Amino acid sequence: MILEVLHPDGARTRHRLDVLPLTVGRGLGNGLVLDDPYVDARHARIVFDEAGAPRVEDLGSVNGLVEDGARHAGAIAVTPGAEVRIGRTTLRFRDSDEPVPPALVDHNAVPPPRRADLHPAGARVAAGARGRRPRAVEVLSRLVATTPGRLVIAAAAVGAFAVHSWLGSYERSSASGMFASALVVAIGVAIWAGIWSVASRASVQRFNFVGHVGVASAVVLAGLGWSVLDEWSSFIAPDAGIWSVLWVVVGFALAAALIAGHLALASTMTRRRQWRAAAIVAASLWAVGMLAELAEDDEFSDVPTFSGVVKPVGASWLPMATIDDFGEVMLELKESVDGLAEK
Amino acid sequence: MRTSGCPRVLVASLCLLLAFPLVTAGLPGQESSTATAAVFRRYADRVMKIEVIETGSAAKATIGSGFFVTPRGHIVTNYHVVSKLIHSPERYRAEAVEAGGATHPVTLLAADVVHDLAVLGTDLRPPAHFALRPVTVSQGDRLYALGHPRDLGLSIVEGTYNGHLRHTLYPKIHFTGSLNTGMSGGPTIDDVGRVIGVNVSTAGNQLSFLVPVDRVAALVERALAAGDTAIAPTLEEIGNQLRDYQDLYLRGMFAGETKMVELGPYRIVTEPAPFFRCWADATRREELPYETVEHRCSTDDYLFIAGDQTSGVIGLEHELISTRTLNAPQFFALYTNIFGRDNTPSGQEEHVTSWRCGTRNVRHEATPMRAVLCLRRYRKLGELYDGVLKVAVLGHDDSGLVSTLTLSGVTFETLDLLSRRYLEQVSWR
Repeated sequence: MILEVLHPDGARTRHRLDVLPLTVGRGLGNGLVLDDPYVDARHARIVFDEAGAPRVEDLGSVNGLVEDGARHAGAIAVTPGAEVRIGRTTLRFRDSDEPVPPALVDHNAVPPPRRADLHPAGARVAAGARGRRPRAVEVLSRLVATTPGRLVIAAAAVGAFAVHSWLGSYERSSASGMFASALVVAIGVAIWAGIWSVASRASVQRFNFVGHVGVASAVVLAGLGWSVLDEWSSFIAPDAGIWSVLWVVVGFALAAALIAGHLALASTMTRRRQWRAAAIVAASLWAVGMLAELAEDDEFSDVPTFSGVVKPVGASWLPMATIDDFGEVMLELKESVDGLAEK
Repeated sequence: MRTSGCPRVLVASLCLLLAFPLVTAGLPGQESSTATAAVFRRYADRVMKIEVIETGSAAKATIGSGFFVTPRGHIVTNYHVVSKLIHSPERYRAEAVEAGGATHPVTLLAADVVHDLAVLGTDLRPPAHFALRPVTVSQGDRLYALGHPRDLGLSIVEGTYNGHLRHTLYPKIHFTGSLNTGMSGGPTIDDVGRVIGVNVSTAGNQLSFLVPVDRVAALVERALAAGDTAIAPTLEEIGNQLRDYQDLYLRGMFAGETKMVELGPYRIVTEPAPFFRCWADATRREELPYETVEHRCSTDDYLFIAGDQTSGVIGLEHELISTRTLNAPQFFALYTNIFGRDNTPSGQEEHVTSWRCGTRNVRHEATPMRAVLCLRRYRKLGELYDGVLKVAVLGHDDSGLVSTLTLSGVTFETLDLLSRRYLEQVSWR
């Protein structure tokens, strides 16, 4: 039998249950040491019963043994598939013969080393080549996983806002606006990450502040990128319906990514549950937003909204309409306001 | 002075005389003369107060003035005094009030929204009335306006005739004298009781306007011709009047040889008709890294629809923006901001729909531009629309031109025609 330990921080370790009894607890003298503040120094013991089947015994711990959400006094007999919670750690028992799906074929696999690679210098080259190989996504996920990487993303977000503000300013004092914009982003991200850090401390005993800063910065950066892209698209193809659809999709994706990213650091949920929670929150946010927009759409206003974005791009690059095409637009508008007048 | 009737696009801000305004302005002291006293004594009984009353609450909604033009009790007043009778006939009724306070019901017989006139019928048989005949007056002639300023009792205001306005689609007399709210619809006469015009609006500071008597005579004739079969004019008729008037004056705009103005590297239309007034203004300030030159043309006219809703404004607005210090993204951020500014006429939900706008990047001949049309429709006036066409010329990294054509109270055909002609006129130098 295999003992799978799900630690409160999401980590997972596995132990072969060959030699029993095995003591479990926070004390370093135990056979299995758990860094869980809700676990006693000597919390439980796993032993074989008379029939040779394993069982978990409580050693008089504060929080006891929990199975299926109910606390058990004394001992619990375990079979493969059983889960026993002690403190905030889950002990899952599995059969060592449990079947697993076949391995996936890795299309990016490194080809088998050639003879020359066996030379020490060649080996270093190969290692270097292997380091460069991962796709952009992998690089990014690796970047997000390290403290320097997260700080780089945060700096990139602040820098991007500063540059964006500078390019969008047309006053003499553009430097102060640039500084102010960078500061607002930095403070905003810090406050947001701070709130999540406190939540993390409460649920997984770690602040993970830099991690949360990294997640928030990455999403803020992506949001800025999207808004720039959106401006350009509305310049190049004005009034194209596809952009409003994309707005919904991208906005939803960004909100979900933000929440899932934070949950990954602040909870012991599985990946799937993180995304599910994030999707639910994002969907409800968007539902509220869409309802508000719909309500606004119906409201009377004597101030028009139109896409008045102009961009510095050679006119020869742009798809251009003729005056007759514009006439069609006028006709569509007429039908639209005729509809409004009839209401 | 700015009363509730001013559209924001009007720089000259000619404002209607409406009841219950928020702005108070004292009557400047008039030079007293025995002639004025004599005129007042002689003609006062020909002028009535007109009250529009909300039927539910029996409260006064609008107050204006009116005067007898026939022995059979026909009264002339302004359209804007009695417009509520047309817009919500079920909610309002009107009365003519004598100096003594006796009230008499009136019915609306005819209206002319373009010249802001209305003819009312009463059961009264006035002992005297004003005859409506063409009159020749010279600049500087002394005139007397009669009416009920702010419901303070019948008053007489002295002033002088200063000719017809030049920059209007329809004729208006420039009267130098203080017309005040409530005097709308009253007559302005000379010392022998000949009607020169009907009090209609003021721009403050003794700058007032009258509808010429010939327009009044034409409407009264129409009302009398209909005789007893006359029925109250409907909103549809008002819409038709607006449409005919706009079509008459606007169809020829921007056709053939059009007057052009050069702004930086651009050539664009100006002064599309003699009744437009144009002026220019440049902004070069040390603290701004760009310069702007504005060129605007507009008619001095606007038509009163109801409440705060006006129509009929036709205007052009060009703004040249140039820079030597901004880089291309910065300049286009500025250009986007100026292009996105709202310079559309205001509107009320009761009278117009919300705007709907469409945008395209359009090329005509060698000129690429971004064109936006915003459109809204009048709810109760038949097929009339307000349209604002905005154009930004593309292709330069350090200069741009934002041009706006505002057409208010026009048919879609006119709007379509003029928008197309306008786009064809924008070009590089």
